[in-house]
Amino acid sequence: MDDVASVAERRPPGDEATGTAAAVQAEALVKHYGGRSGVIEAVRGVDLRVEAGEVFGFLGPNGAGKSTTMRMLTTLLSITSGSARVAGVDVAREPDAVRRRIGVALQEAGLDPRQTGRELLVLQGRLFDLSPREAATRAEELLALVELEEAADRRIKGYSGGMKRRLDLASALVHEPEVLFLDEPTTGLDPASRLTIWDEVRRINQRGTTVFLTTQYLEEADALCDRLAIIDDGRIVREGTPAGLKSELRERRGLASDPTLDDVFLDATGRTRDRAAGDVQEVAA
Amino acid sequence: MSQTWVLGQRALREAVRTPEALLPTLFIPLFFLVVNVGQAGKIFPAASTSFLHGQGYGAFQLPSSLLLAGSFGSAALFLVEDIEGGYFDKLRASPVPRTAIVLGRLIAESVKGLFIATGLVALALIFGISIASGPAGFVILIALTALWSVVFVGFMQLIALKTRSAAATQSAGLVFFPLLFLTPNFVPRHLLTKPMEVAATLNPVTYVMEAVRSLILQDFVWGSILRGFAVVAVLGAVMIALNVRLIQRYD
Repeated sequence: MDDVASVAERRPPGDEATGTAAAVQAEALVKHYGGRSGVIEAVRGVDLRVEAGEVFGFLGPNGAGKSTTMRMLTTLLSITSGSARVAGVDVAREPDAVRRRIGVALQEAGLDPRQTGRELLVLQGRLFDLSPREAATRAEELLALVELEEAADRRIKGYSGGMKRRLDLASALVHEPEVLFLDEPTTGLDPASRLTIWDEVRRINQRGTTVFLTTQYLEEADALCDRLAIIDDGRIVREGTPAGLKSELRERRGLASDPTLDDVFLDATGRTRDRAAGDVQEVAA
Repeated sequence: MSQTWVLGQRALREAVRTPEALLPTLFIPLFFLVVNVGQAGKIFPAASTSFLHGQGYGAFQLPSSLLLAGSFGSAALFLVEDIEGGYFDKLRASPVPRTAIVLGRLIAESVKGLFIATGLVALALIFGISIASGPAGFVILIALTALWSVVFVGFMQLIALKTRSAAATQSAGLVFFPLLFLTPNFVPRHLLTKPMEVAATLNPVTYVMEAVRSLILQDFVWGSILRGFAVVAVLGAVMIALNVRLIQRYD
């Protein structure tokens, strides 16, 4: 596994010198879908800046535009207007160069159930131009990292939800990406598996990888993220450190004690606890 | 190219590990062969039917079964599973040429097509059908059948990529049946009624069927063979180009 320095070495030249390049930078990012009922404005002008080495959380209610934004940043969706650079590379102009620098673990844990864990990781390594021997060695390292050595030669369809998430995470790390995108990495997992994933994310970040994650669990954002942004109705409505956002709300509302991130979320999205309990699952976590 | 091969190997593993999807591709064409010969065999006795070139009616029907075996397109259904399960996005988020994503599956389909066609012809040989063009003709007809399976799965992958629905993809596969019945399936083209002859002449499947049939019933009829290969080459190129275009524009 690479150390911090080796991940940093692969960043585009000039980042540190100019101080201008960010791990993720989006300007006026817009996504419109053509639907039967007309044009759907999923993302309405998102500006984002994630510094290299950060764990950045991207929160929002269901349908707010989190996954759409992440899919644009990871080259999986076309950008209607605006621009995005990931690891210093323009997403729309050089998608393949971006793909070489990012790791992606999506909500669905994109795995092939008919392959074994080892086969999947070796295949992923080969897709990133590793030789068969390098891919096998890398697969072994990653299986150890996510503690799946014993299950390595079993078909993935027999894995538990937590094992699948860990394998998906491992497959996103095959090529030692500079920026790791995680879309709701712990949704549907039991508390023990969730804590294991949190540990993995911290470990990956300590090795120098920038982590951009969406989550519907505010405690997860609080525990993991250096900074976060809350998106609602396709627009960023809050951005800052978890402590800073809580402190801002306390001062603005004149609260006697520190609010929780749930309170920040409800304040930012204009929802109440009653309504949240009824129709916004995220804040119930 | 190595990425294409790696993805092809993965698609082959997928096929081998799903025997329940493979068996119908052998069983159903055999069923059609037996039923068609049972229904029409007596109408066309080998001794007095010139278009059979001395063989039984089963030899005339074998190309239909071979093409049917090559038209199941199960790889397209696996593609829908990849799309629904998120693995397709994993591939799209990798720096893999979009052509490799398409060609990997098509290469696997051609290998699968080779094995299935070989199995079907081997069974036909046991039941007394012979390949008039000999071992070289056998190789050519197996190759042509495998290439046809690539064309057809290419078509079904287009539906899979466009609709992302297993039901729609499976339904689209049924388009092969009208195409099959608009070929000289039961008698040669010159014995069809005029409207059917026109329809068969316009139907590209006709030329693949006639090429395969000529290799079974006659020696090398190069005009027919080359027309068959030309059809799969042109349709194959069109399908690959459309598949790549759809993946590049996939949102």
